[in-house]
Amino acid sequence: MEHFIETIGRNMFAIFGVMALGGAAFMVGSRSAVHSVLGFLFAMLCVAGCFLSLEAEFLGMAQILVYAGGIVVLFLFVVMLVEMSKKKEKAVFQLQSRHAIAVALLGAAAFLGVFRKVLFGAASPDALVLRPELAAGLDVAKQNAQAVSRGLYADYLLPFEILSVILLVALVGAVVLAKTERV
Amino acid sequence: MPIPTLTQSIVITLIQCLLVVIFVFVVVPLTVFAERKVLGYLQQRLGSTRVASGHVGITGWMNRGMWKWGRVPVLSYWRGIPGLVADVLKLILKEDILPAKADKFVFFIAPALSMVAAVVVFAAVSFVPGVFFTFPKWFPYLGGLPVSGGIADINVGLLWILGVASVGVYGIVLAGWASNSKYPLLGGLRSAAQMVSYEVPLALSLLAPVVLSASLNFGEMSARMATGMPALALIPQILGFLLYLTCGFAETNRLPFDMPEAENELVAGFHTEYSGMKFGFFYLAEYINMTVVAALASGFFLGGPWLLPFGLQGLLNPHLPAFLSWFGEPHAIFFVVKIIFILFTYIWVRGTIPRYRYDQVMSVAWKYLIPVALVNLLLAAVVRCFAV
Repeated sequence: MEHFIETIGRNMFAIFGVMALGGAAFMVGSRSAVHSVLGFLFAMLCVAGCFLSLEAEFLGMAQILVYAGGIVVLFLFVVMLVEMSKKKEKAVFQLQSRHAIAVALLGAAAFLGVFRKVLFGAASPDALVLRPELAAGLDVAKQNAQAVSRGLYADYLLPFEILSVILLVALVGAVVLAKTERV
Repeated sequence: MPIPTLTQSIVITLIQCLLVVIFVFVVVPLTVFAERKVLGYLQQRLGSTRVASGHVGITGWMNRGMWKWGRVPVLSYWRGIPGLVADVLKLILKEDILPAKADKFVFFIAPALSMVAAVVVFAAVSFVPGVFFTFPKWFPYLGGLPVSGGIADINVGLLWILGVASVGVYGIVLAGWASNSKYPLLGGLRSAAQMVSYEVPLALSLLAPVVLSASLNFGEMSARMATGMPALALIPQILGFLLYLTCGFAETNRLPFDMPEAENELVAGFHTEYSGMKFGFFYLAEYINMTVVAALASGFFLGGPWLLPFGLQGLLNPHLPAFLSWFGEPHAIFFVVKIIFILFTYIWVRGTIPRYRYDQVMSVAWKYLIPVALVNLLLAAVVRCFAV
């Protein structure tokens, strides 16, 4: 019993990973858009589980909070209102397979490049830390939130702020697009 | 103190889960009953009295006596309690109707989602700091092992609570969609918009305790908020409590914010098409969510397992005489009493404040609650910066 539980605990990452892949496959494969969103939700929760099994609690919880709780709800909000009962609308979503294959292959190639580097490339001995004095006395396994915030606000402040400006641009753009039709 | 093996600790965790479920399933039916009774007395009627068996007829006899005496009977507090059993039986035994054009899978999964999301929040709630009780030596397999006061007092407990609570929206939205009918869909959409909106001020109002206590762990937060705060921290605590409670009412879809099921506009909202135990799950989930909000409010603002709210305990404790030291220590009973008080407040508010209009609900969230929550956060940051 003891041994069995320990084995499960050690392989938690693989279990959650396979479940996440299953959810993603369900998302891609299902015909109904709402079912797709459910699959996406399941995959997101499993990715959070992956983070948890790597002792990155903060990231796991942020994953649930931001993706499962925020973004996917908004997806669902939109998808619910898209009723694909008419044949013509259905055709629009089904006749893009050639483009879809091309995009998928392109994406797969890009990701393979990244994965090849991550899996087989030489690992850097230390993480890039610009201000090591802030990291003194920080137990990363127990102080997840502090470690992440140090990374965001001390080591990578400029890229982080630029990213937030990009998000702001997207927000403003969405408002502009929605507003112009009404005037 | 013996260290539990892996299997033992899993068994202990299961026992803790069982205890929490028992707690929830004791509190929820009593809240339902209290709602009928308290609402009845608030509206100057008797509440539910009809299903009362002959065995508890002594109150019936006293009631009759009081009517004869020319007084309105107030002794009938527990008349109607057998009605709870009747309610549960009715929910379980009723025919489970599946609408012909419903999406079967989603229709089935929606009540489960909202129920699970409501219960699972309790994983990160710490009822009492440290050890809750220790198994006696003679206990088989677990003798001498301690049981802690929370199931998983993880260091990002607050994020877990917020995240899982936001997953609860799916139950309602999907139920509205899967029913394939107009009123449920409208109810589901309304509730999605309302709950996503109110999550913002809710999270902002909870950020004030995070800033003040410099932690995300439920147990640590409630301990520091109750005992480690300066007197200045009272202002952000009280303001934050009122904000949190308002948002909590909206998040649990209770009056005065019960837009998803505003019955004179939407029949019964998102669960119009549900019957039997599937409806029962939504009903349960609503009351469990109320308990969750009550637990968080009492944990973060009302001092949790300590006696006094808003950090007054920390100001009082140095002056507490020795023979009263029991009141200076944390006890699970204080926590439970506070939860029950907030559940009572829910019913109280329901009997007092009429429902908002939908546009008013939205403007309350975006125009008033969010700015006030931001100001509160600023206050907390100032207190944290200069007083702690």
